[in-house]
Amino acid sequence: MSISSQKTSSRAIPATRRVTISDAAHLPHDYSSTPGGTLFSTTPGGTRIIYDRKFLLDCRSSPLANTPPSCLPDIPGVTSPPTNTVTNNKTQPQESASSQSVPPVDKATGEDAQFEMDI
Amino acid sequence: MNNKFDALKDDDSGDHDQDNSSPKDGEKERNDDEEKDQNTTKRKAVVPGAGEHPLQYNYTFWYSRRTPGRPASTQSYEQNIKQIGSFASVEQFWRFYSHMIRPGDLTGHSDFHLFKEGIKPMWEDDANKSGGKWIIRLRKGLASRCWENLILAMLGEQFMVGEEICGAVVSVRFQEDIISIWNKTASDQATTARIRDTLRRVLNLPPNTIMEYKTHTDSIKAWEDFHGLVNASGGR
Repeated sequence: MSISSQKTSSRAIPATRRVTISDAAHLPHDYSSTPGGTLFSTTPGGTRIIYDRKFLLDCRSSPLANTPPSCLPDIPGVTSPPTNTVTNNKTQPQESASSQSVPPVDKATGEDAQFEMDI
Repeated sequence: MNNKFDALKDDDSGDHDQDNSSPKDGEKERNDDEEKDQNTTKRKAVVPGAGEHPLQYNYTFWYSRRTPGRPASTQSYEQNIKQIGSFASVEQFWRFYSHMIRPGDLTGHSDFHLFKEGIKPMWEDDANKSGGKWIIRLRKGLASRCWENLILAMLGEQFMVGEEICGAVVSVRFQEDIISIWNKTASDQATTARIRDTLRRVLNLPPNTIMEYKTHTDSIKAWEDFHGLVNASGGR
């Protein structure tokens, strides 16, 4: 931020832009990189991590996005098929931070895997 | 103070330490007195995993369903609203979303709520109490697509209104479905106008779609009127 005499002209707030990536390997791994998640440092409200719809949808196919979350509460008809009446319908909706790593091999083995929503 | 989500109590009480954006302190104090503490489980912060794409905020999915026959009962809500889970990255979001039914396939009187972590999907939460929501009523068959577009826009920070967004709700009802997005400051017209315009853009709504803004104060009043709950004692 030099206080030069150069005047900068005002510009419109940048709109969402679209970045097409063909391979997951092209995805950046840090906060400050494009394509994909883009930091705007000068938008109203300050720095934001923005993603457009297409980018978010593309992330869905990542292997990281496909493991069932651990501690997913079993809510028949919502997080599991409505017909699922066996075992722990009483699973507590308790959250643990481990949801980003390996799902625990717990009591309801296989219960998550059988329920995939296809869009 | 009469709200259908009062019954939530404070079962996300462990979440406050990692949220650096919402008015957590006030919220926590405010809820301490009603915290019967049937849930003292402390949860660790949800963080993006290695190689994942962090979101601007952490969010929590909630699900609620009205029990037939006892619509106004606090207890039935307490039994029927559940936290599904919290996430901090795009990938973590998909893990939950992919294992949840789509709203259009829900039965009965049900809602999905997706709120910033630390903000309860209730009118009286400190983040919501001065706020309001844009409401869009949808004919049957549109809810799943609109809900997905809405939450993707929210997670991706498409609304460009700073800290104003609180969360989004999809409500499955008998003859129609309703999606709404909640913000903090109902009186901030620049913000509410921007949210409305973004909604039009991201939802691809037909031009004649009616969008209604409703303050939570009005919602509370309507709810009280409807249930005849003018309570003098402050009781529920």
